[in-house]
Amino acid sequence: MSIAEQSIIPARQADWKQRDRHGENLNLKGQVAVVTGGATGSGRASAGKRADRGAAVMVADINDSASAATAAEVAEIAGRSACFRVDVTDVGACSDLAAKTLEVLGPADILINNAGVAGAPNWQKRSFSTEEDWKMTYRVNVIGMSNIVTAFEPQMAKRRSGRVVNIASIAGREGRPSLPHYSASKAAVISLTQSTALELARYNITVNAICPGLLWTPMWEQVGERYAREVPAYAGMSARQVFDVMIADRIPMKSEQTPEDIAETVVFFTSYDAKNITGQALNVDGGLFMR
Amino acid sequence: MDFEGKTSVVTGGAGGIGRGIAHALARRGSNVLIADTNEESAVKVVAELMAFGAHASFCETDVTAQWSTDEMVEAALEEFGQLDVLVNNAGVGGARDFTFRKTPNIDDWLATFDVNVFGIVNGIQSVEKYMLDRGYGKIVNIASIAGRSGGAGFTAYGASKAAAINVSQAWAFKLAPHGINVNTVCPGLIWTPLWESIGEWRSLTSRQHTGMTSRQVFERAVAESVPLGREQTPEDVGNAVAYLASDRARSITGQALNVDGGIRMN
Repeated sequence: MSIAEQSIIPARQADWKQRDRHGENLNLKGQVAVVTGGATGSGRASAGKRADRGAAVMVADINDSASAATAAEVAEIAGRSACFRVDVTDVGACSDLAAKTLEVLGPADILINNAGVAGAPNWQKRSFSTEEDWKMTYRVNVIGMSNIVTAFEPQMAKRRSGRVVNIASIAGREGRPSLPHYSASKAAVISLTQSTALELARYNITVNAICPGLLWTPMWEQVGERYAREVPAYAGMSARQVFDVMIADRIPMKSEQTPEDIAETVVFFTSYDAKNITGQALNVDGGLFMR
Repeated sequence: MDFEGKTSVVTGGAGGIGRGIAHALARRGSNVLIADTNEESAVKVVAELMAFGAHASFCETDVTAQWSTDEMVEAALEEFGQLDVLVNNAGVGGARDFTFRKTPNIDDWLATFDVNVFGIVNGIQSVEKYMLDRGYGKIVNIASIAGRSGGAGFTAYGASKAAAINVSQAWAFKLAPHGINVNTVCPGLIWTPLWESIGEWRSLTSRQHTGMTSRQVFERAVAESVPLGREQTPEDVGNAVAYLASDRARSITGQALNVDGGIRMN
């Protein structure tokens, strides 16, 4: 079973409600959340967590069938959800998504920009970054994010309220020889987050980024395969073994991060509790990077 | 609730940001020990917390003395039986009468480092053995956006807060393999007794603030520097502390989070 098939959405919703008794702060009843790349992985966990707190969720993904499945799960929890096929590099499709969200669920309160790629198709089979890898990562991870924010800005600005969370990566914190195009695009995401935060602060819209550390996702499975092939120290290992060695060697907390960890941080940034936090990039990485 | 049955110690919890932190944790179910030098104010905060059903108590604590923070930890264990969260919040802007000096003197440097840096070190050193034995613990240190980059004027304070961020990272690294998270919150512009002093200092030492009340200086700073256009509150900091000290943030350590309406983005 791949990670995408494992349910990340907590099975016992009642437990969470119990834990949130302390106040209305994490209650998202009546709110509308949009999650791009929301069909699988961290995006799916975020969608589930939003719904869990009472929000209606629009699952936007290029993967039609997976997003329908996630939307159905979300509907079971929250009662209201929808899915929409969107290629974030297509400006028209992004405006269609915004219009559809408004029509079906109402104006968006929360925008979770999670859609991302590690390279052009077959990147995991190559040893070097190609021009296509550079273009694809920049188009999806950076320009795509900007397209989505631009499409939803009017809905949020009009109501003088909004929360945007961009999923970057610790790869964006420091340049590294492997996948330089990916690192550069994620550094750009952090920068874009800051610019957008300054731009939208006047509408009372906060914009923050999360930099996930090492998560066992379909993407990391491919990264691991590539490392096993390219890096002598990992020769002969399975992708999961490469992953485990990296956790042991590099993560101070000695444990992997999970989609659940990322979803919890998204919940915090989009909650009332974080109303005065904007322009920040927070590493959720077990202490790997401290800046 | 995130902190049901748990115990938190908040240094400098008798007023300002510390009071906001104590409230945020208590409202989420935590027992709270207020550790402060100011008994009169601390007792009031304890009463506030107990008024909504929280368990709270006070321990007179001077964070600049290791024996005193040792006693603080003992008091928490004696009173509540366990200690889960330590919030090192106690801080000063300078030595006595710092508001009258244009630039800090040696006493200001010593006072800011004594409280803002060694106070954190003492607090962590008093609690780390207990947390290590238990394999669980959450430490949140309060620094400041003043510690994010150097600036003219309030140099001693800024340097001490930069050191506080660094100290947090050092212990985050050390304690990470043992299930203990250490993070920092950097508050922005918050109307507290400390900012009242800073406002006074600016109106006395900076020409463009001459004749302004402390609150006016503060409001001008908010208008000029906060992208979200509003002041931050002790509750904002309390909420961020409560998040970082919860198990929701179990994979976050060594981080410094600005709660500043977007003033600083590093």
